[in-house]
Amino acid sequence: MGDIESENQNIENKIKELARNLLREKEVDVIIGYKKGTVPLSSSPVFITREEDVDKLLWNNLCYVNLANYLAPRIPTLYDEEGQKLKVGIVAKGCVGRALIHLAVENQINLENIKMIGISCNGIINRKRIEKEIGEKEILETSILGNNIIVKGRDFEKTFPFDEYMNELCKVCKVKSPPNVVDSCVGECLENPVIEDDFNDISDFESKTSEEKWAYIKDTLSACTRCYACREVCPMCYCNLCFVDQNKPIWFGKTTDFTDIFAFHFNRAMHLAGRCVACGACSSVCPMGIDLNIITRKLEKIVKERYNFTSGMDKETLPPMMSFSMDDNQEFMLEED
Amino acid sequence: MEVMILMKDQVAKLYDELSGEYNFFAPVKEKGYVAYRKISNPKEIELNYFNSKIPPKEILFPQMEVLFEFKTDGKNVIEIEDRKDLDEKNILFGIRPCDAHSFDLLEKFFAFGDFQDEIFLKKRENSLIIGIGCNSPKSTCFCTSVEGHPFQKDDMDIFLVDLGDKYLVEGISDKGNNLIQQLSWLSKASKADTIKAKELAKKAEDLITTKLDLTNTSQILESNFGNEIWKEVSENCLGCGSCTFLCPTCTCFDVIDENDQYENRGRRIRIWDTCQFCLYTLHTSGHNPRDNNIERCRNRILHKFSYYPLNYDLIGCVGCGRCIQVCPVNNDLRTIINKINNIKPKEEENVSV
Amino acid sequence: MNEITSETEQMKISNDEWEPKILAFLCNWCSYAGADLAGVSRIQYPPNIRVVRVPCSGRINPYFIVKALIDGWDGVLVSGCHPGDCHYLTGNLVARRRFGILKDLLEFFGIESDRVSFMWASAAEGERFAVLVRKTTKLVKKLGPNKKFEKKW
Repeated sequence: MGDIESENQNIENKIKELARNLLREKEVDVIIGYKKGTVPLSSSPVFITREEDVDKLLWNNLCYVNLANYLAPRIPTLYDEEGQKLKVGIVAKGCVGRALIHLAVENQINLENIKMIGISCNGIINRKRIEKEIGEKEILETSILGNNIIVKGRDFEKTFPFDEYMNELCKVCKVKSPPNVVDSCVGECLENPVIEDDFNDISDFESKTSEEKWAYIKDTLSACTRCYACREVCPMCYCNLCFVDQNKPIWFGKTTDFTDIFAFHFNRAMHLAGRCVACGACSSVCPMGIDLNIITRKLEKIVKERYNFTSGMDKETLPPMMSFSMDDNQEFMLEED
Repeated sequence: MEVMILMKDQVAKLYDELSGEYNFFAPVKEKGYVAYRKISNPKEIELNYFNSKIPPKEILFPQMEVLFEFKTDGKNVIEIEDRKDLDEKNILFGIRPCDAHSFDLLEKFFAFGDFQDEIFLKKRENSLIIGIGCNSPKSTCFCTSVEGHPFQKDDMDIFLVDLGDKYLVEGISDKGNNLIQQLSWLSKASKADTIKAKELAKKAEDLITTKLDLTNTSQILESNFGNEIWKEVSENCLGCGSCTFLCPTCTCFDVIDENDQYENRGRRIRIWDTCQFCLYTLHTSGHNPRDNNIERCRNRILHKFSYYPLNYDLIGCVGCGRCIQVCPVNNDLRTIINKINNIKPKEEENVSV
Repeated sequence: MNEITSETEQMKISNDEWEPKILAFLCNWCSYAGADLAGVSRIQYPPNIRVVRVPCSGRINPYFIVKALIDGWDGVLVSGCHPGDCHYLTGNLVARRRFGILKDLLEFFGIESDRVSFMWASAAEGERFAVLVRKTTKLVKKLGPNKKFEKKW
């Protein structure tokens, strides 16, 4: 198994090797991957078209953006001069693979044109948590040493155990590598991961009273500035006109009054039921540091317990909101005593 | 005007003396970041901070602001109530030089042309900025590249220097000097204090590592509107509003009406808008002159580094580095400017026969 | 009930005089007819519901329910045809999927579960309709006024 540091080195080398081969054999026109960020605790999605640029690709536990976002139809930059869709290679950790499969299920992309460079992801660093703990001092450098995250500043150095300072969603992740991708995949890649999840991580929250839940939600979400970074980075938010931008009719306000903030986040969660792939990108990119992980987990729990469904696992199963059955359970319906 | 000293444990006294007359805005710690808030207790003030997450423009130009309220009779508007709080005086405490300069840019924007924005300008007129120099700029700071400096004091009313356990207090404007005279209990600064302040200024300047050469950028931008570089630079941009919302000089806003039909009243609100949203330039005809992220990314850079110099003879960026820190895909402004500066001039086209 | 309630309202609640306002979406073919039957048969049921007629329970967009709560309605009731009897064949089956997820998510966000109810009532079930409206009114009344979404003017 080795430690995180050596795993990363192995993953990075293999990514470059596979990417180089794909470009050389002209199996793809462009490779979407991650390159080093210019500020600590960041990475930057990169589009590589030439073999000599392949060395820019990296893997460092800070690759939080879900690259499937760039294939969803709303960002149509991947066309050549004649308007033909380019063949795309994509560095796919588990949640990226899930997102691609789910987008295919929703008929938004054609998986035939996409080659996944699968990797068995070993987790993403919870950058917002580390930034909060370091506080006002500037972080100048972060690195992985063994199984620890080392954070250095001008006059300080702190060590964080990787297992504890991973994203909350990564801690309970069951799909580390893209489903059904074994050949071009780095690390321990499972073809059909079995999802067994008791959702214990949110049981504490679920046992709170309504008032406590409301207080927590209000406290977490009231920092929202409606910048929509969460919506734009989400691969599943690809509507040409988001419901908040609709004006015939205006459903909900766009202000930062908590009523409007609640409306946005609640309805976005409803729209993601059975579609969210729990990549955690939304929480990683929020400029105000809002962590939506419990909402994501609840969405997964609802569809798993009601319909035994996990999004993005295979192309054939229809998501719960795209199907129905006479035998659906209806224990929540009002009935005579 | 003489230079004075304010001990750090006297900040509470400063608040107590001024809070009756002024709304006191100071940095407070909030959920893991620093924000400028109106405080009611001097204990809330956080003196150990680098800079706020959301720039202090939000004090005078908040994310959500009521422009006026109105009453209806069920069908028509029968009464309009204007803002009544614009004459209140504000103290903006602990503003960094980059953000203080942004107020100058904001003022120029809201006062430009025939229609003056009364709400912002009145509040600005009634505000007094107590700024503070940056002893340790971040690696993403580049105020010195945009005609600024970590100890620049021109845009403030009172300038403070953090000397460790005390602040050096210097009055800059008449408003600031008058206030200092009011605070008769401030002790005088010693020669050693002023020398230390000068040393800190030099040290701060040396700590700025990001240096951008903007001498030709404006001209290069004017003649490269259609350059291919914009596709490269905007490739991974998501089109969210993070950079613009956290920018001290971004001023775009949307105006919406809220109707409370149950109480026969309503209000007109303005909320922050951004050129990065797809709706921003969408015409009612359905045509959108900037309908992809290439054009929107380009617009933001041009606005700050080309249109502002053309219209106001000022660079529209204060070098605070917030956009660099917060961009979800790490689209670094410094990289973009460097790429633009390196655009090779087009060769003369030979008309072939 | 920790949001601001006016004095008269508080008095009404303590005197058991406060009455909830419940928005009811009834599908045209079954539930609306069932409500009509209850009326024609002179079956008494609480006057707290205000009815909006929709062609099918499948027409119900979760926005309607959330917007109702945000506008200040104390409760929302949605009623449709029994599964298998939908006039449009499968509208209520689609709705059933939506409602289950919506109810779970509302509860998770801290909106009391009893505020929003879903039921089936056919055109012949006037008595059933009245019984269930009585039940949901009782549940919502116990929860008190919905004050979570009041905007401060």
